[in-house]
Amino acid sequence: MPSPDAAGTAPATRQEHAAVEVRDVEHVYGRGSEAVAALGPISLDVPAGAFLVLVGPSGCGKSTLLRLIAGFEEPTSGSVRTAGAVPVPGKGAGVVFQQPRLFPWKTVGGNVELALRYAGVPRAERPRRVAGLLDRVGLHDVAGRRVWQISGGQQQRVAIARALAGDDPLLLLDEPFAALDALTRERLQEDLRRVSAETGRTSVFVTHSVDEAVFLGSRVVVLTRRPGRVALDIDVDLPRTGPDPDELRALPAYASLRAEIGHAVRAAA
Amino acid sequence: MTSPASLRPDAGRSAPAASAEGSGSPAGSPRAARYRRFGVRVLALAVLLVLWQLLAAATRNPSFIPSPRAVWDQLVLTSTVHDGTRGYSGHLLVEHLGVSLRRILIGSALGVVAGLALGVIMGTVPWIRVVAEPVVTFVRVLPPLAYFSLLIIWFGIDETPKLWLLTIAALPPVAVATASAVYAAPVGLVEAARALGATRWNVVGDVVLPSALPEIFTGVRLAVGVAYSSVVAAETINGVPGIGGMVRDAQRYLQTDVVVLGLLAIGVSGLLIDAVLRLAELRFIPWRGRA
Repeated sequence: MPSPDAAGTAPATRQEHAAVEVRDVEHVYGRGSEAVAALGPISLDVPAGAFLVLVGPSGCGKSTLLRLIAGFEEPTSGSVRTAGAVPVPGKGAGVVFQQPRLFPWKTVGGNVELALRYAGVPRAERPRRVAGLLDRVGLHDVAGRRVWQISGGQQQRVAIARALAGDDPLLLLDEPFAALDALTRERLQEDLRRVSAETGRTSVFVTHSVDEAVFLGSRVVVLTRRPGRVALDIDVDLPRTGPDPDELRALPAYASLRAEIGHAVRAAA
Repeated sequence: MTSPASLRPDAGRSAPAASAEGSGSPAGSPRAARYRRFGVRVLALAVLLVLWQLLAAATRNPSFIPSPRAVWDQLVLTSTVHDGTRGYSGHLLVEHLGVSLRRILIGSALGVVAGLALGVIMGTVPWIRVVAEPVVTFVRVLPPLAYFSLLIIWFGIDETPKLWLLTIAALPPVAVATASAVYAAPVGLVEAARALGATRWNVVGDVVLPSALPEIFTGVRLAVGVAYSSVVAAETINGVPGIGGMVRDAQRYLQTDVVVLGLLAIGVSGLLIDAVLRLAELRFIPWRGRA
């Protein structure tokens, strides 16, 4: 749910559009006999403040859909709108990739600082904001480190801090924890859940993990195998804040959602 | 006795890097390995000197192979004022070397700047790459002496043609390295920058160029090397003062010991400059090999 003050300050025009609108989108890679239909036709509306998780077997086009929403690619047919406009990279959405994609010539703090610079934050304000952003993703005393001096999990935290720097209304995450070990992944999931509840921004999260989908999502969409279509669209009615992660996972509702989504994913594959 | 972390070259790095360096020598600490390497080099140098001395003694023709001693004497002679003569041809050895180094420095600096600019354009604009690539390769394979004649006709026999020669010689390696690195800029990082709101120019300045820096630096080291090997060619005409001019004059008068001395001076100063460039690389591109 969006926080009350966010809803109060949002301009009236914003409310006419969902945060993300996907209309009859199809996407084809290549041409002629080489052409591969990756996605669609698919239609989706993501209301502001939702945490949508796209889950499905590998190659189902879920990353493609995210890239379309980020504006990195244009759909072959149909239309994608974010906040009512054609998405443009760097405008209105922070993106976290599977690999951290940090700039090795910058320090950890320098990476976040660069994002603030692009977002138009005045130079004098940046150091404080860098510290605040790193703090928000659970990093302390690493701003001066080199990127290769911190662990993979920490690098991905920096990538999240960097994506949050622009204060964009939309956060797009493409299997950000897939390359991490199980323990680190769980920690980051818990922290992302907390951060998303705190910031209340709309998120679209791509994963192939059913557990991750149920744990993070306020809504889960299961895609069929290529070309990806909606196989299941389900609201996750679990508390967004409150119980600690272990309690949450122990809830009966959690287990039944997990079973239902898991079944849909297996059927789709 | 010593911990890897206390080692100077590894001071700015993480512990794994230090131990990786040490892994080359399973027997001892990295410092011991460094001493051993230094020892091996000194020993090799000593062996070389002995062989040289033996060869000189065996041939007994100082115009053919001067002895180490004769070269040493020339080092002293050319570095001092003796019998009212200053060094060699009126200039001390360091002055010859200094003039040549100045030419190398200016020539390769101009070549690096021009090569960098050309390389960036070649790496970003496809049709310019198509046009410029064969031209750059054409110039790169030309021996400097071949186009020096043309430069002499155009620019006379003073400093200008020499600097042009070194600039033209230094440009291609930098242009080629820069173009290939810019062209192969990591797509993932460019995309990440765009997702953060980087403009086209931001992407070039903040991602493409930094990511190309390691390769550009290799190009610069090559360029300085090429400028070095071209300076003797540049100084074949009106080259005194200049180490190449000195060598050429000495060759004319069959002063083989001076020729050898000149070669040593060029080689040793070249090693030093390359070492400086390598240190600069460690200092300015610490992420090399880690991205």
